[in-house]
Amino acid sequence: MRILVVEDEQKTADYLCKGLSESGYRVEVARDGFDAQHLIEESEFDLIILDVMLPGLDGWQLLQLIRRRSQVPVLFLTARDAVEYRVKGLELGADDYLVKPFSFVELLARVRTLLRRGPPRETEHFRVADLEMDVLRRRVTRQGERIALTNKEFALLELFLDREGEVLSRTYIASRVWQMNFDSDTNVVEVAVRRLRAKVDDPYTPKLIHTERGMGYVLEDRS
Amino acid sequence: MPVLNSLAARLSLLFALVSVLLLGSIGAYLYHSLNREIAWRDDQMLRGRLERMEALLDDGESVAALRQRPQLYANMLGNRDSLLWILDARGKVLIEVNPGRLPVPDLPASDEVRLDDVSGAIPARLAWQTLEQGGRPLTLVAGKLLDERRQMLSAYRLRLWLALAAGALLAFLLGWGVSRRGLRPLRRLAEQANRIDVRHLDRRLNDEGETQEIGALSLGLNQMLDRLEEGFLQLARYSADMAHEMRTPLTNLLGQTQHTLRRERSAEEYRQVLESNIEEYERLSRMIDSMLLLARTENPSKEIPREVVDLSVLVEQLCEYFEGMAEDDGRELIHRASGSVVANCELLRRALANLLANALRHGRSGTPICVSTVVTAERVELRVQNQGDVIAPDDLSRVFERFYRCDPARTGSVDSGGLGLAIVRSIAQWHGGEVGVESSAERGTIFTLSLPRISPDAAAPLPPARGSA
Repeated sequence: MRILVVEDEQKTADYLCKGLSESGYRVEVARDGFDAQHLIEESEFDLIILDVMLPGLDGWQLLQLIRRRSQVPVLFLTARDAVEYRVKGLELGADDYLVKPFSFVELLARVRTLLRRGPPRETEHFRVADLEMDVLRRRVTRQGERIALTNKEFALLELFLDREGEVLSRTYIASRVWQMNFDSDTNVVEVAVRRLRAKVDDPYTPKLIHTERGMGYVLEDRS
Repeated sequence: MPVLNSLAARLSLLFALVSVLLLGSIGAYLYHSLNREIAWRDDQMLRGRLERMEALLDDGESVAALRQRPQLYANMLGNRDSLLWILDARGKVLIEVNPGRLPVPDLPASDEVRLDDVSGAIPARLAWQTLEQGGRPLTLVAGKLLDERRQMLSAYRLRLWLALAAGALLAFLLGWGVSRRGLRPLRRLAEQANRIDVRHLDRRLNDEGETQEIGALSLGLNQMLDRLEEGFLQLARYSADMAHEMRTPLTNLLGQTQHTLRRERSAEEYRQVLESNIEEYERLSRMIDSMLLLARTENPSKEIPREVVDLSVLVEQLCEYFEGMAEDDGRELIHRASGSVVANCELLRRALANLLANALRHGRSGTPICVSTVVTAERVELRVQNQGDVIAPDDLSRVFERFYRCDPARTGSVDSGGLGLAIVRSIAQWHGGEVGVESSAERGTIFTLSLPRISPDAAAPLPPARGSA
């Protein structure tokens, strides 16, 4: 998977490049609008991460240029969290946006979502180690024992299972499970994850839900 | 015209204009009165002469005799602008006194005394009468040259014009002086205003001992200054508080990182420091986020998009969100909200979430939190009620201020940095609503968020936000 990162800020570009490379993507970096234009015209990418404020051509102009050529997913980064800004980006054909400062985990989650886009994959059945979830019948079992979950606990577990092995940030979890699209300063997500663990993980081994301190949570079988 | 920008100059000019109008009218009236008076007296004099001539002729003195004794009428004339003719029926001159060498006028016969002006090279006023003298008709004509009168009147006119000009000038100068003097309080006001600057915002204009108008102006300006000073102080306080709040996480970051770098450490130790740093970064990030939201809601650049928000659904969502936290604390979230309101859903959700988080943070463990609505004709009021320590009246009025904490010792990394309630107020105000709080031992603490009721037609749906699903 090839990703183009268009970002003029040196440090940001560096860590995006490193982080995405470590996550298994091939990354090209463009430091200004003209470089980016050149790269877009010369080669094919699976995803473009676009900073809006750029020397040379700005992000909006690049976005229009990209959209004239292809439907490659575009994630734009902005330091301005104004509604009109977001709306403008989405209207011009961007697929998603992130407001700076954003966490890398958050970015990775969105990148993965965008790259997975296409015909939505409706999974009906998940299985990780001895944990099983039947989405349609709303049944969760572990070691064959039925576990009773509330609606939101079920939604949270479904999210974890759907993104198995991916670290999910608190903000991302809050927005997906409760539609809370702002960084709440409460520990609601911690509490919810703890309660889910109490039902799904605590009585059993191996443990499946892991805390990545400072980043979020991940569900995977590490045994 | 720069001169006319001066109030004193304008007033002086107006004074002068008024004086010209006034003096001009009076002058014109006097001039015409004088003119009429002189004309009337001249006419009377001419009539008198005719009468005396008639009397002379009646006495039996014939015209021939009169011609012999010119001193009889010469006496009575005596000046150079008098005229006298006695004409017979065919217009032949019998007696003539005519120093101006006027042509003999051709006058219609008249039994009564008649008066008329003759124009021409030498204008004159004539009175005449036709008499029977010994069976012959005689026409007596007395006259006066108008030269002198006209000269006199013209001199009088000139003097009036001069007086008018002098009066206008005087009025202008006096007006200038009076205006300058009258406007002196205004200049004093300007001087006082000049002394007020950012460093001396506590200075006020002196509104005592001034005239009523200036006093009212000073009072109004002083009230404006009060509001500005309050806003300015708040802003300064806000900046100071903000810097202070940022200092704590930055101190942790700096100290911890430097301490770690002082010697080689294990990978695990480095990891712990980085993880701890992330928490501080997140704290800073949240603060910046809150401040930006405040900055945006307090100076909204444009109208926010609004939609019809079902309060029951919104509160249900929030209750689900906070359910776990509440249960952990042995508390119940009671949902009694209903109805709908036209608002920006995302902002309203945030405001309510802040109120609920606040109730969870400060309420007593094991007591319920109730969210309810009160709908009146003009407003929709959302109430969040919780049991806990009664908030002191002093604190009550300030809880919505930024960075205000009832208990200064109570800060923590999960705290909103004291901005949560300020954001609620700001969001309410952005919607044209307001916030309130009451606290008592019996009813607990009730925060209210009241929004104006707007007809659903006024709602413009938010553009679909694909970005955050």
